[in-house]
Formats: sequence, structure tokens, C-alpha cells
Amino acid sequence: MENKKKEPLLRVVKHAELSRGQTLLLRLLAVVQALIVGGLFIALIGYNPFEIYGTMISGCFRSAMAFQATIKFCIPMCISALGVTLAFKMKFWNIGGEGQLIMGAIFASFFALFCSDMPHYLLLLVMFIAGFVGGGLWGLIPAVCREKWGTNETLFTLMLNYIALYTISFLRDGPWRDPQAAGFNKIARFDPNATLDKVFGIQAGWIIMLVLVVLVAVYLKKTKQGYEIGVVGESRDTARYAGINVKRVVLRTMFLSGGIAGIAGMVQATGSDITLSTGVAGGVGFTGIIIAWLAQLSPAVSLLISFAFSILVKGSSVVQSTYGLSTDCADVLQGIILFFIMAMEFFIRYKIVFRGHAEKTPIAASKKKEEDEA
Amino acid sequence: MKRFLALVCSIAVMATLLVGCGNGGDQGSTSEGGETSGITAENVKVGVIHIGDPATGSGYSYTHDQGIVAMQKNLGLKDTQIIRKNNIDDADATAIENAMRECIEEGCNIIFATSWGYMDTCAALAEEYPNVFFSHATGYQSNGKNFNHYFGRIYQARYLAGIAAGMKTETNKIGYVSAMGSENGECTSGVNAFAMGVASVNPDAVVEVKVTNNWYDPEGEGQAAQALLDSGCDVIAQHCDTNNPMIAARDEGVWGVGYNSDMTAEVGDAVLTSVVWNWGAYYTQAVKNVLDGTWVIGSKVEDYFGSMSDDLFRCTALSAQAAEGTQEAMDIAAAAIKDGSFDVFTGTYTDADGNVIGCDGVMECNDGKTMEVDGVNYAAITSYYKNVVVK
Amino acid sequence: MAETTHAIRCEKITKIFGSVVANDQIDLDVRYGEILALLGENGSGKTTLMNMISGIYHPDGGTIYVDGKPASIQSPLDAQNLGIGMIHQHFKLVNIFSAMENIELGTPGKKLPRKILKQNVLELCEKYGLETDPEKPIHAMSVSEKQTVEILKVLYRGARILILDEPTAVLTPQETEKLFAILRQMRKIGCAVIIITHKLNEVLSISDRVAILRKGKSYGTVNTAEVDVSALTELMVGHAVTLEIDRPTPQEPQDILKLVDLTVRRNDGSIALDDINFTIRSGEILGVAGIAGSGQKELCETIAGLIAPSQGAILYKKENLAGKTPRELIDMGISMSFVPEDRLGMGLVAGMGMTDNMLLKSYTHNKGPFIDRAPSRALAESLIEKLGIVTSGVEAPVRLMSGGNVQKVLLGREIESNPHLLITAYPVRGLDINSSYQVYELLNEQKKKGVAVVYIGEDLDVLLQLCDRILVMCHGRITGIVDAKTITKEQIGLMMTGATAEEVMEYGK
Repeated sequence: MENKKKEPLLRVVKHAELSRGQTLLLRLLAVVQALIVGGLFIALIGYNPFEIYGTMISGCFRSAMAFQATIKFCIPMCISALGVTLAFKMKFWNIGGEGQLIMGAIFASFFALFCSDMPHYLLLLVMFIAGFVGGGLWGLIPAVCREKWGTNETLFTLMLNYIALYTISFLRDGPWRDPQAAGFNKIARFDPNATLDKVFGIQAGWIIMLVLVVLVAVYLKKTKQGYEIGVVGESRDTARYAGINVKRVVLRTMFLSGGIAGIAGMVQATGSDITLSTGVAGGVGFTGIIIAWLAQLSPAVSLLISFAFSILVKGSSVVQSTYGLSTDCADVLQGIILFFIMAMEFFIRYKIVFRGHAEKTPIAASKKKEEDEA
Repeated sequence: MKRFLALVCSIAVMATLLVGCGNGGDQGSTSEGGETSGITAENVKVGVIHIGDPATGSGYSYTHDQGIVAMQKNLGLKDTQIIRKNNIDDADATAIENAMRECIEEGCNIIFATSWGYMDTCAALAEEYPNVFFSHATGYQSNGKNFNHYFGRIYQARYLAGIAAGMKTETNKIGYVSAMGSENGECTSGVNAFAMGVASVNPDAVVEVKVTNNWYDPEGEGQAAQALLDSGCDVIAQHCDTNNPMIAARDEGVWGVGYNSDMTAEVGDAVLTSVVWNWGAYYTQAVKNVLDGTWVIGSKVEDYFGSMSDDLFRCTALSAQAAEGTQEAMDIAAAAIKDGSFDVFTGTYTDADGNVIGCDGVMECNDGKTMEVDGVNYAAITSYYKNVVVK
Repeated sequence: MAETTHAIRCEKITKIFGSVVANDQIDLDVRYGEILALLGENGSGKTTLMNMISGIYHPDGGTIYVDGKPASIQSPLDAQNLGIGMIHQHFKLVNIFSAMENIELGTPGKKLPRKILKQNVLELCEKYGLETDPEKPIHAMSVSEKQTVEILKVLYRGARILILDEPTAVLTPQETEKLFAILRQMRKIGCAVIIITHKLNEVLSISDRVAILRKGKSYGTVNTAEVDVSALTELMVGHAVTLEIDRPTPQEPQDILKLVDLTVRRNDGSIALDDINFTIRSGEILGVAGIAGSGQKELCETIAGLIAPSQGAILYKKENLAGKTPRELIDMGISMSFVPEDRLGMGLVAGMGMTDNMLLKSYTHNKGPFIDRAPSRALAESLIEKLGIVTSGVEAPVRLMSGGNVQKVLLGREIESNPHLLITAYPVRGLDINSSYQVYELLNEQKKKGVAVVYIGEDLDVLLQLCDRILVMCHGRITGIVDAKTITKEQIGLMMTGATAEEVMEYGK
């Protein structure tokens, strides 16, 4: 009876480590596949996929204003991806980018709301530092708790997101309520003095973003602290062995990681939203995780992927109004694209072998070679 | 090294792109001083910012969109002259701004922003785009030139609905599911008008209010209604987005008063009547005003606070289950409202039995104090009427 | 010969992992009533082959015949149903359960009453000559007792074909003898036994036939009676090798490090090192023998400053190093090198290349916040040349290297820092014979330079040949420090299980 059993129909087999080029090719292939399947989906609901894709792209680039908006979406995504990158490099699973971003926005907003009479650039600097410190402290809490009591950082950072979010609600409904807001509660729009300047028509956050990309890349690659992060991430035992103070590295890195997310919050609140609202993060902290992960923790690649994501977001918005396509359809489309890219990660490491298609070629070839030599 | 190069390249590319769009920001012509805005039925383009998706078939965004549809039909506009931006979270200022800018980019000269949270963005963009007319629902800001706010005396219809509820109740307890608490003037003015309507026909009845603290909370709204039903209410009114309170009332074998859309359609005639908006009245009027030069974008637009006589809202036809005599009582009050002698909070009228009805500007509150009220300042009404009990 | 006499016959079994061909058309057979030794160096594909027979992997090509019939073994359960049982190197037991609970765990059918279960287990023990206390919880057992439970687990499931993966690696010589007696009993009863090992003496003493694997290919099967150690080595390595390890005489040994009354506790509070006293001398190799987990790891890590002792002192030129962190030791100018047991998990950063691994101990040497990679790269390149390290480049992650090359990277880095004291934990574990001898040579070179070398080892034959003195540990205590030139393997084995040096000397006479 046992003998009747055949070889399994499908088997998952690990294949050799692929070269950089091959990996890149597979990823591009995933994007193409995603576009094809997305196109099928569009066709299925009765639209012309080429038109939709075309509108998506033109919606992002058709005018200076469109391009500016695209970049505006890109900024917080990219910066929070950079924050996550630091923590993930250390294998500290910081899912709290959202909360750290919000805390940064809250800290910065305090000065925007109550110290708006400071000199403009001094105020911006103060808000920048406040955002960094706010996010940093929010990142430090889970790090301290993990190092001291061994708490699970994934759950911990996740929960802190909600605390941060509801802190905004509390401030909005209570101490920071706009006294002029009759009826509904809101936080006042910031004074123009407390608003990030525009450079080339886009809030200056894009400069901060580009500077951060370079800084984080250099920090990880060229500095001692960046090296320590890499070692701790690979193995805490190795770090200990090398005389690295693991606890200090974890705390320092999480402060930086949260701090960068906090900068994203500051930039978003004072550059784009011009107020503090519960939508200040709007899931960007989570998108940042996906971006950092897809970019394999490379800051430069994160920038490119963030840009691609912002095209998706901005383009979908235009498609929605142009074709009356439900926003849900745009979400489905985004989901398809993400699904394919993520699924491709699996195929970068494994392949599936069908029954009877076992790989014989390499050995057969080598056998043949041996015979030839003999 | 290669990676560094990639980094430098990508930065360079972005920088050139950015420089390329250095002079963005000015859109449209700056024609000024003419009698009209230079906008015709051919070149008018209307943008609508929805907080939800009108495709849901009921609720807040749906009713607003029905108004847009009516306006389009009334004025004979083409489909391409309407741009809709759906599901724009009103707590996400960046998304709001993007949606509005996309409308402007696509050539809209009138933008209806239908949710309260869009106000600050409207104010800011109105300054940036003086040739675009921003019309914001439910807010209080405006600039008289290209930014107004619009809303209506919906409490007038709620008063009439209160009459229907007051005449129907047997337990003399009427439930009211309110999205927000007494600090929210829009909700509170509605509750009070409804309670006054109840009191005008049934002085013994009380209105029990339950607050969900959420504008859209399907489950919470149903649960709030159920709690009210459990405490003995036999008519449920609502100021919230879903029809779950009505379903709860129907399933309990009692009655309800709906809101936003005609809820008899989905729930059946346990819904005595529904208070519904007819935003088309405003949207048609507003666009018409721009086209005929009554309003000139950039120099003169007015705020709008519609009334029952403008047909901005109404009570839907009574269901078969409404108490006898309800229609007559409502008609008398409606007539008084329409002729201006009575506005719920101000003025009085005489009912069928010869009683003079109305608080005439001074409302007795449920904490025993009195409060000066005026429908125009509905946002300032933050105390409940005397027959209201908070649950 | 008739097919049916074969318990297992493998025909052209092939398994590929990525670009690595782990098994290349391997043929193998074993009969009932026979012990087959599967001999091969690390990485020759022994475990992969056995994992396919026991259902953990599925072959990419070839056929496995069980009892003469082709079998598709897709899971360990399939293997179990075919009467195949494998005893892995790492035990798979539930610590808080008793022996018999572990034995019953996962068997189909209702849970048996304790009494009957105990009866069954004891009967099984009697049949195969095993000794165990069915009620004893696993956590209270020694390594050899745990192994017995693993064997019982397999037999309880009705296995008639047993596969043991390096079963003697964790045993003392005496325990090994006991295990072999059990295996012989199984052979007598008619079981087929496959034993994976690379210890040649054991192959000769236990097996009937030897199947040899080399680099994933089978190099035939020989009758044990017809070969000797050197013939087997040649078959295994592919060429003749001298098995002599050099032992130069120590030159003027001087005390370098003195451990006084040292006691170390583990994180859970249990005692890892119990009142240890000994001296490490320059110019000699001090071997440390003991059953795995007797405190060797803690000993190394305490000296290296990774663990703070709860009591006692480590004296280096009158300075007490106890409780100092590695960074403090470096700052004090103490030149100590440590090659830990877990090379990729502690000694090296697996995902980084050689350059960055060279940096590990020296990245703080230059001033300023930036890292200077140039000296590390130069060091990496010189090591590649000096030690013949095979790698695709100094930036290729070290985890992609073979075990021997990984060890050369680690050892090379540690030696390059010119230490006074070199501690090495199991430096040849997992290495092929050539690499192992290269390591011995490197250690001897250091010894000749006057470095004090500590060698934690598991192969007693090597310890006896390489070291000058051997320190034997048992349960965190030192049972004796003996002269490697005069002691025997059996005597060390006894000391590993608790006998003192004095008692053992008595026994020796």
C-alpha cells in the first residue's frame, strides 16, 4: 500500500543564492506580473487597463501640481521607511513607526501651536528637534522594556501606536481644542510662521528626506555605530563577544529609529497637513515597513520604492475621479501589486518542483563531462 | 560604490524634476472686476469632495451626491463637468488638499466640500485660488469672495418628526440615538427641536438620548437603539449614519423616525417618517447663482442657511403605521414654519386645539435653567430641552 | 543475491540543495541482522541520505527500496510505518516528561494506563538489553540516558531498521561501549542498523560493512574485516594521509593566567563552574576534556569576560580580571583571543564578508565616528593567501563558506592579533581531516611562539596526541589535570564521569 504512493505533486525546493542581477530581474518580473494581473482585474470590471494605467501615470506627472502632490505623498513614506530600516537592520521588529511618527508630530505641533511667535527658522529648528525627540522617546520605551524585562517588541510597538493615536484625539477634544471650533472639535490650523517653507512649490520636507537618505546610508555603511547595529542584528552573542555594549546599541538605535519616524511626523504636520489631526500618520508607518522591507533595508532603494508607492497612491486618486472607479478598486489594485512583489520574495529563495520534473540536468551534465574526460 | 552612484543618480534625477516644476501654483485666469465670473453652463466644472462613497446607496455622502445629481439634471450639465473625490478622510489634511488640488487641476471652478473637517483646507486654498469657488458644508468660516459655507435649518423637519413620534408613543418614552453629545450644537439643536415637537403634541412624553460618540458606527448605533428599546422606548429617532437603529426598532415590533434618506425603503413602514436632506436645492441654487452673476467668484459669494421653504429638507410621507391625526398636526406646524411665523426656536403658532405653541427664543433646559436660542446659531445650542433625558 | 534480504536498498539517490549536489546518485544497501557503518567526512552527504530514508527530505532522483519493494517515503510517519527509525544527533525529547511519556508521545491509539505502559517499556528494555527508569523525567537524565530513551522511542514504534546519526559524539568511551553492546544485541535479534560516524576506530569495532561517501558520491562498500584505519582514511579522504599529530616540547612554560576558587552560575541560577582552580601556562597546549555541557563553554566565556563569575578570581600578572567586560580587557591591554564553539553565531558575523568580520575586534581602533575598512581588507586578503581560504571574495558573506574556511577566518583573525593567550573551543568540530590537521598545525605554531593555548576538545584521541596537559571536567568541577603523554583514553573517560585522577591511576594499575 505504501508502495503505491507516488512522489508528491509539488515540492518546495530551496535553490542557490541568486546574484544581485537575478534577484533584481525576478523583482521586476513580479512588478510586470502584477501589472498584468491588475490589468486583467481592470478589464474584468469593464475598463481598459491601458487607459487606467496611463491615467495613473499621467495623474502623477501631468502638471507641476500633480508632481508636487506625488512628492508630498512620497516624503513621509520614505522617511518612516528610513526609521524602520535602522531598527530592522538590528532585527528589532519595530512595528511602531506609526506611533513614533504621531508622537513626533505631537511634539512638533506643541511648538507650532503655542510658540508660533518665535523667529521662523528658529521655530522650525525647534520643531524639528521636538519631532525627533518625540518620536525617539516613543521608540525608546519598547527598547527599554525589552532590554529590562524581555517584553515582545512587536506587540509592544504595535500597541504604542494606538496610545499615540488616541493621544491626538485627547488633545483635539481637550487641551489643544481650537477654541473657535464651534460644534466639532479640531486642532487649529498652524500659523504660517510655524509652517515649513516651500521649495520649488513643495514643502521643504523633500530636502529633509533626501538628506536623511544620504545620512542613513552613510550611517549604516560608514560609521562605527552603523557597524555595531549590523553586528547586533546578526547575533547578539557575536556583539557581546566583540565587546559591544548590546543594550546601549539597542537603546541608541531605537531612539534614532523612532526619531526619524518622528521627523516624518513633524514634516507631515508642519509641511503638508498644517495642523495636527488623527490622520497625520494614516498608515504611513506601516507602509514604511513594507517599503523598507522591499528595499532590503537599502536607503537609496527605499527612496525609489517610496516614489513608486506615491505614484500608486496619487495615480489611484486620479483614476478614481476620472473613471468613477470606486476607491476600493484602487485598493484592490494596490493589493495585487503588493501581493506579487511579496510572493516573489518566496521565489527568490525557493522554487517549486512538479512531480517527475526533478532536476537531473546538472548531474547528468557533470556525469557526461566525467565520461568525456575518461 | 555602485550603490553610492545609484544614490547620487536618483537624487540628481529628482532634483531636475523638481526644478522643472518650480513655477507651479497659479491656475486659471485672473479676470477680475466683470459682472460675472465668466463662467458659463458650458465651462462650469464642479468638484465634489465626499467623506464616504456615494455608491453605498444611503447615508451622508449618498444624500449629498443625490443633490449633485439633481443639480446636474436641473442645469443640464454633462457628466464630464462633475468630478467626484470619494472616501476622503476628513482627518487627513494632506489627502483633502490633494483631492481639491486635483479638482482644480482638472479645471473645476466650483468645489463643494461636504464634510466639516474640510474647512481649514478650503480656507487655505480659497486664498491660493481666488478664481475657484469653495463651498463648504456645515462650517462657519467664509470670506465673502470665493469661500462660503452652507447648511440648513434641518431642525425644522426634526420638529415635525417629533410630532409624529409624540403622537405614536404609547409608553411615553421616545429614544434618540445621537452621534455626538450635548456639546455638539448640530446634534443638540436637532434633539431639542425633535423634543419640542414631541412636547407640542404629548407633554407627558420624554425623549431619552443615547450618544454613540461616532458619526459612523453601525454596530454602536444598533446597540444604542437596543439599549433605549430595553429601557421602554417605543419610538426610536436618530442622528447617525446607518439605519441600524430603525432595524432594531422594527425587530422589537415598535417604530422609528429615520434620517438622511427615506428609511422605509429598506426597513419598512415601521419607520413612521424620515428627515431627509434635499441638497439638490442648494447645489442647484449655488451653481445657478454663479452662472447668472448673482454670485461673482472672487468678489461676492454669500453663506447659505436654507429653510423648509427652500425645500432643502423635508419629512418623507408618513407610513401607514403613523398615528391618526399626525399628518394634520404636522401640516399646521409646517404651514407656520413656511410662512415664517414659527421657526421652532423663535416664533409661535396655534395648533388645532387653539394652544399657542413655541418657546419663542427662550428655551427651558432639562437642568431647570433657561437658555436663549436662535436657529442661525444652532452651534451654540449645547443644552438639552426640558423633556430630554440623557441615557 | 535476492532482493528480499535487503532491509533497505538505495538506487541512484540524488538530492540537490540550491547549487549544491548533496547526494549524487548514491547506491547503498543494508540487510537485516547487519550493522552498516556510513563513513564520510563532514559535508559528504551522510545525514542528507539518512534524512531521505527517514522521510525528512524527499529525493530529487533515484529510488529507495524497503524490504525489496520501492517505497515513497514522504514523511517521518511513512518511515515509521515502514519500520524505519532514526535517532538524531540532537535529541527530540520533552524535558518535563518522563521517559515513558516521551516514548508514548505521538503514537496512535488511546493513551495506555501507566502500569501497562511501564510494563511494555520494561519488556522492550529487556529484549534489547537497554537500561532505563521509565518514570525518570528527561531533565534529570544524563546524555547517555537520553539517548537510550531515543532508541526506545524508535523501537517502541516497531522499528526494525535503525539509523543512528553520530551517536557516540556525546558519549564517554565507557558509554560508547555500552551503546555498542546494545547495537550488537539488536543485530542478533535481526534488526538492520545504520550508524553514521567519522570515528574510524568505532567503525572497525562495531560494523560488519562500511559504506563510504565522499563529497556526495558513494565510493563503494567494504567488509570491515578486510580493512584497517589507514585504508579507511584513504577511502574517506581520497588520498593517503598521515594521522600523526605533532607535539613539540614546551619551551620554558610560565604561568600566564591563574584561576582561583572560580564559581560561575548560569542565568537560571544553576552552578556551571564549581570552585575551579588551575593555571594556564605559556608555550603549552592545555586540553580540556569532558562530556558536553560540563562547564567548558562557561569556562571559556568567563575567561574571555563574557560572563561575570559569582565568586573567585582570574589573575593575570596579579591583576584580577574577573567580572571585566571584553572591552575593558582590551583597554587593559590584555591580549587574549577566543575562538568560540559557535563560530557563526558568536565568533563571526555570518551575514558579513571577511572584511567586516576582521573589523569585529578592531573597529574601535581608529579615532572618529567613521570606520576604516582598509586595514581589515588588507588583513582579510593576507589571510586568504596565508591560510589558503577558499572564498569568492573578501566581501562574500562568511556563511556561504565551508566549515573549514569559516574556521580559518576565525582562527586567522584571532591569531593575527598576536595574543598571549588563545582559547579555542572545539576548533575542529565539523571540519574535514585536512582542515583539522591545518588547525592543529596552527595551534602548534602558536605554542612554539610562546602563546598559552587552551584547547577544548571532544575527540579524546586528538586531545591525547596534541595537548601537553589535559584538564578533565565533570559537572562543572575539575576531576583532575593530567599529563597527556601518560594517561589513557579509558582513564580520561572515567574522569569525565566523575572519578578523580587518583582513583583513575589506581584503576590504571
